[in-house]
Amino acid sequence: MERRYDAIVIGAGHNGLITAAYLAKAGKKVLVLERRPIVGGAAVTEEVYPGFKYSTCSAIVDRLAPHIIRELNLRGYGLEFLPSESAAFAPLPDSDYLLLWKDIRKTVREIERFSKVDAAKYTAFNRLVSRLTAFIHSLFWTPPPDPVALRASNVKDLLQWGWNFLRLGRRDMQQAIRILPMSVADFLDEWFETEVLKATLATRGIAGSFLGPRWPGTAFLLLYHSLGAWGGVPGVEFVRGGMGSLTQAIAQAAQACGAQLRTQAEVAQVLIRDGKATGVALQGGEEISGTVVISNADPRRTFLKLVDPVLLDPHFLWQVRSIKFRGSSAKVDLSLGELPNFTCLPGDGLHLRGVISISPSLDYLERAHDDAKYGSYSQKPFLYITIPSLTDPSLAPPGRHVMSILAQHAPYYLKDGSWEGRCEEFGDRVIDTLAEYAPNLKGAILHRQVLTPLDLEEIYGLTEGNL
Amino acid sequence: MAVEYDAIIIGAGHNGLVNAAYLARAGKRVLILERRPIVGGAAVTEEIYPGFKYSVCSYVVSLLRPEIIRELDLARYGLEILPLDGTFTPMLDGHYLMRWSDHAQTRREIARHSIADAEAYEEFGKLMYHMALLVKPLLSMAPPSPTSLNPGDLIQFARLAKQLRDHGGKNLYDLTKLMTVSSADFLDAWFETEVLKATLAASGIIGTFLGPRSPGTAYVMLHHYMGEIDGVFRSWGFVRGGMGTLTQAIARAAQGFGAEVRTEAEVDQVIAKNGPATGVALSSGEEIQGRVVVSGVDPKRTFLKLVDPSRLDPEFLDQVRKYKMRGSSGKVNLALSELPNFTCLPGDGPHLRGAISISPSLDYLERAYDDAKYGDFSRRPYLDILIPSTIDPSLAPPGKHVMSIFVQYAPYHLKQGTWKDRREEFGDGVIDTLAEYAPNLKSAILHRQVLTPWDLEQEFGLTEGNIFHGELSLDQIFFSRPIPGWARYRTPIKNLYLCGSGTHPGGGVMGAPGRLAALEILNDWKRGKIR
Repeated sequence: MERRYDAIVIGAGHNGLITAAYLAKAGKKVLVLERRPIVGGAAVTEEVYPGFKYSTCSAIVDRLAPHIIRELNLRGYGLEFLPSESAAFAPLPDSDYLLLWKDIRKTVREIERFSKVDAAKYTAFNRLVSRLTAFIHSLFWTPPPDPVALRASNVKDLLQWGWNFLRLGRRDMQQAIRILPMSVADFLDEWFETEVLKATLATRGIAGSFLGPRWPGTAFLLLYHSLGAWGGVPGVEFVRGGMGSLTQAIAQAAQACGAQLRTQAEVAQVLIRDGKATGVALQGGEEISGTVVISNADPRRTFLKLVDPVLLDPHFLWQVRSIKFRGSSAKVDLSLGELPNFTCLPGDGLHLRGVISISPSLDYLERAHDDAKYGSYSQKPFLYITIPSLTDPSLAPPGRHVMSILAQHAPYYLKDGSWEGRCEEFGDRVIDTLAEYAPNLKGAILHRQVLTPLDLEEIYGLTEGNL
Repeated sequence: MAVEYDAIIIGAGHNGLVNAAYLARAGKRVLILERRPIVGGAAVTEEIYPGFKYSVCSYVVSLLRPEIIRELDLARYGLEILPLDGTFTPMLDGHYLMRWSDHAQTRREIARHSIADAEAYEEFGKLMYHMALLVKPLLSMAPPSPTSLNPGDLIQFARLAKQLRDHGGKNLYDLTKLMTVSSADFLDAWFETEVLKATLAASGIIGTFLGPRSPGTAYVMLHHYMGEIDGVFRSWGFVRGGMGTLTQAIARAAQGFGAEVRTEAEVDQVIAKNGPATGVALSSGEEIQGRVVVSGVDPKRTFLKLVDPSRLDPEFLDQVRKYKMRGSSGKVNLALSELPNFTCLPGDGPHLRGAISISPSLDYLERAYDDAKYGDFSRRPYLDILIPSTIDPSLAPPGKHVMSIFVQYAPYHLKQGTWKDRREEFGDGVIDTLAEYAPNLKSAILHRQVLTPWDLEQEFGLTEGNIFHGELSLDQIFFSRPIPGWARYRTPIKNLYLCGSGTHPGGGVMGAPGRLAALEILNDWKRGKIR
C-alpha cells in the first residue's frame, strides 16, 4: 500500500462530492472513488441517444442549500439555474386544468376559477406551510441529537432544537405538533375543497416514498419537500446542461481544492483492523489506506455489503436490515419529435415549462398507491413530468425535446413476474396514462428509456431503487 | 334560584359516571343527567329480544384502570370480570390460529405455524411488555402542555423524561418506532405467519380510520396491549351480566357517595351567559344551576351543540371542527339457537369462549380498509366476535346464545345511498362473511340487530359513530387531545370541563378520562378557582 489519504469517500454522488470538497477545502488529502465511469451518482446527464441528453435519474433541483453553492463557489464552476415561472400544471381528463405559478397572486387567481373559498384561504395556507417548513429546515443544520444519550454536545443540540421550536410561537408550535403526524390528505382537506388543488399539493407528501396521500406522516413530507417553495408549490429549477452539470461543478470545486477523483473504481470492502476502518479494497484487489473512510452509499449497502458483518453487533445488523427502502418510483426518459399537445390547454406555453403533474384527485393518487401496496405497479400512476429542453435547448437537437417522467408507484418487489420481464409493460402504462391527456404523445416518441426500481438499484446503487 | 349542585355532569356514560363518583366521593353535591332511559352510555346491557341480553355497543373491558375498580370499590357493587380464554382466528383453508391467555400454550400453538415465530413471540411479548410499562404512566396523568413554559408543565415533562430514561434506555428507540410506524411494518420485522401478524395487527386498527399498513397503527396496537398487561389485575375480559353491569356498578358507587342520577333528562344547552358556565338547560326547558358543568359527551357535540358558538373564539371553533371523528365501525348483535360450528375447528370448545377474530391476513384487513377509504363499507370486513353467553349463561335462555360482532370498516359518510337504506345490506355482508367460516350460522339466527355508525350517533350520541369520541391518531392523542392547548379537561369557558373519551387518554372502557378530569376539577376547587 503506497498511497495514504486523510479521507477516502466511497461514491461520487452529490453528497460524496460535497463531503470531499469540504474536507479538501479544509486541507485534507481526499480521494473519491466512483464505481461508474462518470461522477454524479443519481444526478447525472447522459446522452443515451445521439443528440438527446437525459438527466437520467434526478431531474430537477429543489432545495440545494444556498450556502453550499456559495461556500464551494459552484457558480464559478459553471452551475447555472434556470427557474421556471410556472410551478405545476395539472391537466384534468375533462378538458380543464389547474396551473400553479411561482407568483402567488397568479396562483390565487387561477384557484378562483375552481373555488373562491379555496382562493381566499390559499395565502394563509401558504404562510403556515412556509413557517413550519422554515422550522423543519432549521433542524437540518444541526446533526440530530440522540434523545437517549446525555452527553454535553447532545444536550446542546437538543436545546438548539428546543429553541428553534419555541421561536415558532405558541400557535405555530401547537399547529406543528398537530400537523406533523397527519396525513397530507387530512391536512389539505381541512383547508381546501378543490380536488385537483389538494392532489397536486399532496404530491409533495408522497413523491419518492412508498406512501399514499391518506397515510399518516405524509403531511410532514409535504412540509419537508416545501423548502424553497414558491406559493406553496415547489419551485422548479432546471440546471443548465442537465443535472450532471451540478455534480460536475461540485467535482470541479472539490478538485480545485486538491481532492482526487477516480472513476471505474468500485470499492469491494472497507478494510477494518482492530475495530477501526483503515482504508478500502477495490474490486480489482487494490488496497488504498486512509485515516477515515466515508461512505456515500446507503446504510444497507454500507453495512451489509462493504463491511464484514461479523464485525458488527447483531442487534445493530438487525436494525440495519429493518431500515425501510422500498423504492416506489420508476423513471421514463423520452426523446420527442414534437411537444406534447394537451387537450385541455393546447399548444406550447408556460404550462410546459414547469412540472406537469398527473394528479387529478386525492383518490387517484391513493388508488395508484393501492396497486403498489399489493405488489403491482399502478395501473394509473402518478406522473411528475418535466421537459427540460424547453428551458435549455442544448439538451436536444433543434425542434426536438427530451421529456423526463418520474412515475409512481412502481414497487421494487412485484408479486407477479419480475421487473426484467415487465419493464416495458410498465413503460406502456406510463405512456398510455399521459397520452390520455396529450394524445399526440405516442406519435412524437423517438426513443424511450425505462428505468425500473431494479434498474435504479443496478445502475446507481440505490438499494431497492429508493431515491 | 339558588345553586343546587356543585357539579352537573352531562351524560351518564362510563366516564361521566366515574367523574361523578370521584367528585361525590370528595363531598361535592353532584347531579348526572342522561338523555336515555338507562345509564351507561355505550356500555349497556339491553334485552332487545325477549330472553336475550345484548351488550349492545361496547362488549369487553380491556383497559379499565385498576385504581378505579379499587378506589370506587366496584366489586362491592357487583362488578365481576370474567377472563376470556384467548383469541381464535379461523381461516378458510381449514387452518386456524389460537392465541391463549396462557403464554406457553400460545407459543406451542404458534409453533404449529412457524418455529421461528414461536421463538420471536417470546421476545416480542417481552418488548411489548416493556413498551406498555413505559407508556402506562401516561394513562394516569393529565398531559402537560409542550408549548407552555409554565414551571408546572416543565417539571411534569422533566419527570416524564426521567421516567422514560430510567426505564427506557435502549427501549426508547423501539418506543419511537412503535409510536410512528404501521402495525404491519412493525410486525413484519418480527413474524412470518400472516394470520398471526393480522390478528395482532387487528387491535391496531380498531376504532381508527386507518389500515394495518398506515403509519401510527402500531401505537394503537400498543394501546390495546396495555389491557393485557393489566390482565394480572383481572381488569381485562368480559363483564358478568354484560357491559351494563359495569356501568350500573359505577352508578351505584356514585350514588353511594351521594350523587344523584336523572335519566330521560336531555341537556339542550350549557348556560354560560356572562362568562363562566353556571348550569344547564334541559330540552324540557327546565334550568338547573351548578358551580361547574362537566361534559361527558364528545368535544364536537359539546362545543358545537351544547355551547353557544358565539361564546367561543373562532380559532378554537375551527380547531373543534377539524377534530377528526370519522366513525369506522358498526355492530351486529345476534340471538342464536345454537353455537356456530366452524369448519376449521368443529363443535363446541374453548375457542368459542374467547374472542373470535376474522383477520386471516394483513392484505385482508388492508383491503377491508380500501373499501372504506373510497366511501363504502367493507365487502369482507374485519370482525371481532364474542359469544358472551358461553361464559355467562344468564344472558340467554338455556341452550341458546347471544353473539356480539364488532365490524370494521363502516364509514359514517357513504358515497352511495344512506345508512338508513343500506343497514340490512351491511348486516348481510357481515353474516355472509362469518358464514364462510361457520356455515350453520345463517340458520341459527333467531334475531339480528344491526348498528351502523349512523345508528351509533342517533342512539348513543357518538358523533359520526366514532366509538372513541375522536380518532386515536398521533395528532389527536396526549397533549393534543382533543384540541392542542386544551388537553387538561378545561375549556375556554370557565367552569365548563370535559371528562369523556375525547380527552386524554382516549377511548375504550378505561375510565381514566373521567377520573383524571375529576382530579383536575378538585384541584381547581382546592386552589380557589371554583367558588
